[in-house]
Amino acid sequence: MAHVAQSGAGTAPAILDEVKPAVLPRAVLVSNNRSFSWITEKICGIIEGRTPAWWWVAFCVALFVASFTVAGITYLVATGVGVWGHANPVNWAWDIVNFVFWIGIGHAGTLISAILCLLRQKWRTSINRAAEAMTIFAVVCAGIFPVFHVGRVWFAWYLFPIPTANGVWQNFRSPLEWDVFAVSTYGTVSVLFWYVGLIPDLAVLRDRFTVAGNRVKAFLYGLFAMGWRGSNRHWSNYEMAYLILAGVSTPLVLSVHTIVSFDFAVSLIPGWHTTIFPPYFVAGAIFSGFGMVLTLMLPLRSIYKLEDLITQYHIDCMCKITLATGTMVGYAYAMEFFIAWYGSNPYEGFTFINRAFGPYAWAYWIMITCNVITPQFFWFKKVRQNTTLVWVLSIFVNVGMWFERFVIIVTSLARDFLPSSWGYYSPSIVEIFTFFGTFGVFSVLFLLFIRFLPVMPMAELKAVTPQADPHANHEEFTGHGDPVVERGHA
Amino acid sequence: MAAQPHGLIATFENVSDLMHAAEKVRDAGYKFWDCITPFPVHGLDRAMGVKRSHVPRFSLAGGITGFCTGMSMIWFMNAFDYPLVVGGKPYFSPMFAFPVSYELTILFTAFATIGGMFIMNRLPMHYHPVLKYDKIHRGLDDLFFIVIESRDPRFNSAGTKSLLEKIGGKEITELEA
Amino acid sequence: MSSHAASAPAVLTADSHATAANKALLVGVAGIVVTLIGLFFSSGHVIAFSWLVGVSYWTALAIGMLLMVMIHHIFDASWSVVVRRQWEHGISAFIPLAVLFAPLVVLAWLPSTRDIVWPWMNPAHELHGHGTVGSDVLYIKKSGFLNRNMFTGMTLAFFAVWIWLSARLRKASFTQDTDGDIRWTRMNRVTSALGIPLTALALTFAAIYWIKSLEYHWFSTMYGVWFFANCIRGALCSTVLIMVWLYRRGDYNGVLNTNHFHSIGQLMLAFTIFWAYVTFSQYFLIWNANVPEETFWYNIREINADGSPNQWKYVGIIIILFGHFVVPFLYLLSYRNKIVQPRIRFIACWVLCVIFFDLCYNILPALKDDLGNAEPLFGINLLWTISAVVGVGGICVWSYLRSLPKEKLIPIRDPRIEESLTHHEQHAH
Repeated sequence: MAHVAQSGAGTAPAILDEVKPAVLPRAVLVSNNRSFSWITEKICGIIEGRTPAWWWVAFCVALFVASFTVAGITYLVATGVGVWGHANPVNWAWDIVNFVFWIGIGHAGTLISAILCLLRQKWRTSINRAAEAMTIFAVVCAGIFPVFHVGRVWFAWYLFPIPTANGVWQNFRSPLEWDVFAVSTYGTVSVLFWYVGLIPDLAVLRDRFTVAGNRVKAFLYGLFAMGWRGSNRHWSNYEMAYLILAGVSTPLVLSVHTIVSFDFAVSLIPGWHTTIFPPYFVAGAIFSGFGMVLTLMLPLRSIYKLEDLITQYHIDCMCKITLATGTMVGYAYAMEFFIAWYGSNPYEGFTFINRAFGPYAWAYWIMITCNVITPQFFWFKKVRQNTTLVWVLSIFVNVGMWFERFVIIVTSLARDFLPSSWGYYSPSIVEIFTFFGTFGVFSVLFLLFIRFLPVMPMAELKAVTPQADPHANHEEFTGHGDPVVERGHA
Repeated sequence: MAAQPHGLIATFENVSDLMHAAEKVRDAGYKFWDCITPFPVHGLDRAMGVKRSHVPRFSLAGGITGFCTGMSMIWFMNAFDYPLVVGGKPYFSPMFAFPVSYELTILFTAFATIGGMFIMNRLPMHYHPVLKYDKIHRGLDDLFFIVIESRDPRFNSAGTKSLLEKIGGKEITELEA
Repeated sequence: MSSHAASAPAVLTADSHATAANKALLVGVAGIVVTLIGLFFSSGHVIAFSWLVGVSYWTALAIGMLLMVMIHHIFDASWSVVVRRQWEHGISAFIPLAVLFAPLVVLAWLPSTRDIVWPWMNPAHELHGHGTVGSDVLYIKKSGFLNRNMFTGMTLAFFAVWIWLSARLRKASFTQDTDGDIRWTRMNRVTSALGIPLTALALTFAAIYWIKSLEYHWFSTMYGVWFFANCIRGALCSTVLIMVWLYRRGDYNGVLNTNHFHSIGQLMLAFTIFWAYVTFSQYFLIWNANVPEETFWYNIREINADGSPNQWKYVGIIIILFGHFVVPFLYLLSYRNKIVQPRIRFIACWVLCVIFFDLCYNILPALKDDLGNAEPLFGINLLWTISAVVGVGGICVWSYLRSLPKEKLIPIRDPRIEESLTHHEQHAH
């Protein structure tokens, strides 16, 4: 079918007459041709309906598990950091592993929101709200560890560039100080990005509650909706702000995990000081984050019957990204290993032998199995289409990534330069409970989120349905050629 | 008692109707008017004659401020006010000052962007005549509206109403102020 | 078709294509001849190093285009369909590049020129002030990797992988023009899914063998990623030049729109940031740990043996930091700079020049003078480096121009061609 192109001279290039695409329809992002109001009803229905019984059960369990963290942290502050299993030579262990683990999980949320937005991947719209929420809650869980691992928490404010009575300022040469800025910025910007995305949806809920006569809820949602009224002039500024926030969140997420990797890479410790750490950590974070997104979204999809909004195509894309980032992590493993040999530094070489065959070999092989082997299953369509299997594999991904951080941190510290300084580390009961409790903290927050806030961005979802496209009836593309600017006067 | 109404509102059922109608309102020369949509519609800005948003200017200003704040703060703190001797590193180097400055750049850009968006949109504005319209909840759900305000110089109760009818608007209603 | 055909440049004839290709070939040969003339003015080392810069530069661009094709297929991308064909023409250059690389391999096998580029090719090569390569424990430990046989075999393998992938991708794409069969798209996806890891490994080890091993005491796990960043940047910039050239010539007039330029400009911005990220990380981590076994590589590029700053330091700060990052970054932030043709063409040329300097920065300081300091960049030697780049480039452009007229301008039967032709402005969702 010929298309008339608006070029400067008004001629249609002959080549366009020959265009006759092969047929390969793009995946439909919202199945079964759902209407705008169906989308509104579906998502608002979750909030407007009665709290389901399973939610109460889950919430109570989550609260109970979260209490482990509360108890653990209270005990820690009251008694001292010694209640954890750290001692020379392994002074960083579960606390930092958990910190990096949770921050890494958070990165997938920003990736889905920001990076996929910049890459124009429209399928992100069904999962980005929940993923962003996941980011914020993951950062909360992550932040617990560096704050409390300082020991005397009442001095934690010393980390911020605030004058103290000692007159000494913070040491900006330290990656730990950079972490303070990185994680704070990340938490703040993630909340802001998430909130900005929520504004139009909060307005929808405000209006629905107004119509339904529920004045308290209408007031509460309306307060945060800032008076949003769907004005296109507002959408214009909104879209620009959203794009800029996406554009800014992308380097943010890269920099946060880079700075976290700097915690290790700027040192001299063999196994830590490697130039590829920054992108390797970032790829690993996205990998583990997608694992967590799959872990959360697949059950959510079944429980709330969201199959029309989170389609097999969405699951496919998530699996493929998991596979791709897992492969990047694999590349980094290979590089580290190869250069450890190539660089001929005996300590570096020993570190890698030690990881695979030393006292923590069990952790290393769990890591390799989970990180290198498990994602390879996602090559196969049959696997990707089996939701239960995908869910199980996603759990393995998260386990593997926890172990990766454990292997990196603990093996390098347990056996570094001098054999006389070697030592074996085991976690204490307090550490174990504190960590598992954070899953409860995360779950509490996530359950509250799905109960009270729209779990998917309604406006964005509607925008990617076919009926939102003004050119859906395939008119000739007059005027959408946006003619090329040949000189500077367009 | 009839106060000057805020304007007229017309309903449209799908995106292409709205787009064509918006082009006509734009071409008729109205300035104080708007479309209400449940989601941002591609191409509607051009159909309405809305120019590219100014929010990026705020962002750029925020970013530059953030970066300079970071660098100067670190220089002041570690090299000037209380020089700190750590690990043989220089008192100040853009190398180690970079991570924190970079984060502050992003933080300030984010705040400036959101602030800019709110300022340009004149939000929060929890009260607005359009929000009193009894069908407004549909405007955020599955319908599209065009609102032409009465303060527009070309506004004229009968004339504007007939324009709206001509371009396909349904249920044309007066909005009270 | 149109009465305006007479005023607008018409579709080119086979003759004019042949003329353009011949011109490129002439330029290429001239460049090579000038480089060889350099043998009369500078040492064989200098010419061989210049040749290495020339071949690495264009191989990087070709690898970048190959990766762009594969990434396009993996993403099932829509906007880039209209330019993908140009990448497919560009990757035809791998075969001539393999031929052009051969002299360096041959020189390594000839007894008198074994260590003309890579010192470790010759165990009797004297290291400045500390014995020979053969007695250097740091060489002995990696001699299983850094030896002539491995080098030759691996280099052949790299080119084989790239040539094979290029051939498969080209064939599938060109055949789809004739039969519109969807299986070619599927085949391309599979090729790309397997090709990307293969190419990633090949380019990493190519960078290690060809460039990093010039100073074989040094190591960095990030090196492959750095090379990748330059490959992609080079490919994007050359794509912009091709887009502008073909638009001016008339072929792309009515096919490309503002948004295509904007999109490629956005990618250029993204990879500028990515390159800076990678390069900064590598530098910063080595700077911070301050371990002499790593820092020496940067020290050679900053100070002389007596501690005074050398010319490379300024090359690094001015040309590479400002030229490769700050200027393109700030420039590409602006919307208009991405869509106005002369403007985006300017920055594309700029970045292509700085990639050349970046490669020089990585390769040339391995050339030492009698004091053991790196030979400065700005001197007579630069002339041969430039002529080598021009020489190899002419051949690569010739290869592109020979491939161009044989196929349709755009993949007319690609399933996403219509999306690409109607590429809209980026929206947030």
